[in-house]
Amino acid sequence: MSRLLDVQGVRAGYATVPVLHGIDLHVGDGEAIGLFGPNGHGKTTLLHTISGLLTPTSGTILFDGQDITGAKPSAIVAAGLVQAQQGNTLFGDMGVEETLELAAFSPRARDGWQTRLEEVHSLFPRLAERRRQRAKTLSGGERQMLSIGCSMMCNPRLLILDEPTLGLSPRLKAELRDAISEIARRGVPLIVVEQDVEFLLALAGRLYLVEQGEVASEIDRDNAPDHQEIMDMYFGKQAH
Amino acid sequence: MDGVLIPTLVSGLLLGSLYALMASGLSLIWTTLGVFNFAHGALMTVGAYFAWTVSEQLGLGLFTGFVAGIGAAVIAGVLIELLLVRPFYGNRSMMLITVMTTLAASTILERGISIIWGPRLKQLPRVVEGQVEIFGAPVSAHEALIIVLAPVVLLALWWYTGRTRSGRSLRAVGQNASSAALIGIDVPRTFSLAFGLSAALAGLTGVLLGSIRFVTPGLGTDPLVNAMIVVIFGGLGSMGATAGAAYVIGMMEALLILWLGLYWTPAVLFMALILVLVFRPNGLFGRAA
Repeated sequence: MSRLLDVQGVRAGYATVPVLHGIDLHVGDGEAIGLFGPNGHGKTTLLHTISGLLTPTSGTILFDGQDITGAKPSAIVAAGLVQAQQGNTLFGDMGVEETLELAAFSPRARDGWQTRLEEVHSLFPRLAERRRQRAKTLSGGERQMLSIGCSMMCNPRLLILDEPTLGLSPRLKAELRDAISEIARRGVPLIVVEQDVEFLLALAGRLYLVEQGEVASEIDRDNAPDHQEIMDMYFGKQAH
Repeated sequence: MDGVLIPTLVSGLLLGSLYALMASGLSLIWTTLGVFNFAHGALMTVGAYFAWTVSEQLGLGLFTGFVAGIGAAVIAGVLIELLLVRPFYGNRSMMLITVMTTLAASTILERGISIIWGPRLKQLPRVVEGQVEIFGAPVSAHEALIIVLAPVVLLALWWYTGRTRSGRSLRAVGQNASSAALIGIDVPRTFSLAFGLSAALAGLTGVLLGSIRFVTPGLGTDPLVNAMIVVIFGGLGSMGATAGAAYVIGMMEALLILWLGLYWTPAVLFMALILVLVFRPNGLFGRAA
């Protein structure tokens, strides 16, 4: 399988605080991968570096064979690498429909945006019901749907989802997870960050454990850890 | 009283139209970048002087002069953004720093203009000659044109920011720059776009003003203070509220000049501003945040 995204030895951080200490990972064309690991260990920093909000201090990021290291976020979206933000308010004073229309902004997203809007509505019927409502009046779950919907409007070749179900009720969580699985079934390659490893294993072929700014281990369905092993990864081995 | 009141109200309408044009340019930059452009008035002056040089000195006609004036204002506006605002983007004190840098730009432009064009007063010809009557009050046709043009420009801006892709991108960047970047909007380019559009409005206002007042280096900076009162009065951010406030302030100014005279008018306007901010901190027409 050819590599759609190839992250090689990426280091990045904020001001004088390095967060990522050399990350290597890759996503194949048509593949979904998962990222998990404790909070504050660099997952979001990694995603921001991939989508161009942060510039890596060293390392290379290849997308579809092209070097996108340090490229502008708008250029990265224009190439088809799209990230939906975590728990985002988006544009508070804009209506739902207006936001979705605007999200078809880059040239690759303009053709057939109406079809894509229908697809988003079929994924999230709630967004169709709330067409005219301002984004800031939406509930947390609806905002998350709008955020993912916007990314779909960008016509992604690779979609990054950063903890899409964080802080949601179990019912909404299930609803969003169904939608994400549906996106994967439609053949959109994915990088999904989640804390729920069982969900990730059902969705993605391979998982990376990100710990202390590094890829601590890589797992796939064949060597999937059981519940106790996952707990050990998070909390360290405990004396039994 | 009747004989004075109607002409006063019409002159208030004219002032309101000018403030509406100026304040909409200020508010365009404010909503996109969260920056107050103190050089807005100087950009109006740049527009008026370039229009005068091209149309009167070079004799190329008023229309060419208009285009040149607006073009010069746009170039100056985009340069201010690139050189004096962009370097501080993301800085925690960006708003305060840009108060200083745009004030500096204003002074540089104003002094530069008086060095290049000298202190002699100039005047642009009127776009339309003749007089018309508004509610029985005689007004020059040029002033009537400004009164008609202001709401047209405001409506066009409202349509642009609400309905078009690039206009919506200005609002999106203003509300959440990183989300805008993540749906593929080029944020720095949008900043330049906002400054360029705002400067075009400044240039247009400057050349229109240059035929009803003398073109001096202070042409735009003098009314700027009142335009800023308008923007704050209306509640920062909303285009409709800004336009409403422009007409309220214009009318108030005209009536105050009639009743109290020129001397006390600015003091009373500022008093009104303070009262509005005390009782309605989000502006006269502003919504609660």
